[in-house]
Amino acid sequence: MAEIVMAALVLLGGFFCFVAGLGVLRLPDVLIRMHASTKAGTLGSGLILAAVAVYFADTATITRAVATILFLLITAPVAAHMIGRAAFRSGVELWKTKIEDDAERKLNR
Amino acid sequence: MNIFTLNIVLAVAWAALTGNVTLSGLAVGFALGSAALYVTRPLFPGSDRYFKRVWLWSKLIVLFLYELVVSSVQVIWDVLTPQHKARPGIIAMPLDAKGEMEILLVTNLISLTPGTLSLDVTDDCNTLYIHAMFADDPDAIRAQLKGGMERWVIEAME
Amino acid sequence: MDILKTAVDISFVMVMLGVAFAFVRLIKGPSLPDRIVALDMMTVLIVSFCGLYAILSEDTAFVDVAIVLALVGFLATVALARFVERRVVRRDRAQAADAVAPTTGEGDV
Repeated sequence: MAEIVMAALVLLGGFFCFVAGLGVLRLPDVLIRMHASTKAGTLGSGLILAAVAVYFADTATITRAVATILFLLITAPVAAHMIGRAAFRSGVELWKTKIEDDAERKLNR
Repeated sequence: MNIFTLNIVLAVAWAALTGNVTLSGLAVGFALGSAALYVTRPLFPGSDRYFKRVWLWSKLIVLFLYELVVSSVQVIWDVLTPQHKARPGIIAMPLDAKGEMEILLVTNLISLTPGTLSLDVTDDCNTLYIHAMFADDPDAIRAQLKGGMERWVIEAME
Repeated sequence: MDILKTAVDISFVMVMLGVAFAFVRLIKGPSLPDRIVALDMMTVLIVSFCGLYAILSEDTAFVDVAIVLALVGFLATVALARFVERRVVRRDRAQAADAVAPTTGEGDV
């Protein structure tokens, strides 16, 4: 039973990782690509690390796996925010994007 | 937070008494301790507030995980279908959250929820700029984020 | 044990494909933020790769590798994002200087 759960976690995680990589290659501009890398990538790694925690099932490994998952969940959005701001300010080409209000002036694009 | 310390003491006591000082032993002790504290609520002033906070935080965490899954599926859908259906846009959203911790939580959670990615906060911490993948109706997105993530974060932090 | 091993093998293939796609994006560019996003994506994918390898080799040491990689990858991403932003500031200053310089030149003539 635990084996099937682990296999499902590993497969789902692998699938999310695959799609995240494909998204980074295929989607049309930087900011949209970051949607793929932040969300699908974090979820994929989180699922695989959860499978690791279930597989070893001892205190030390569970603690480390949970710590890694939490760390990824905290850092992924921060990293995305920093790259996004830098990309937007450096004026990369955005694909069919409607920019609202005075965002360009406020953010020193 | 006093009740929280008590709860941890109960968890350690449970683990020590059962001779099972592992993560699972502590977790069982913590669960049993909070159950005992819940039953004896009238004895401890302030424990109502503690349980309300625990409830709000667990609600935030569960809803957040749910949103993370939904957003990943949405991204996958757009990656795997041949045409890009995304209509990206950059939206300004006024922030009600006050304090650095709250704003940090709100922006991080927004980055991991469906179709939105926080881009930047203005220097006066009043406005958040969001990159949305499906920005047909900016007002709907704003309303959804304000009534969802931001409200849950403010509730849990207070 | 067979189901899990097969699942891990399949997942290995998917994660490596993800890394390969991200690597293609790293080469193609076209701008620096694109490359940073691809690099960030590769780090997250290799973290999940370490998790898979921990299951395959039954060695918990790879969980430590995953933690360290997540930490270092985050620092690298933040540093690169700051670098891009600095470069934008410098470019703006240079443009401002250029805008000032020709008018003084005309004054001399």
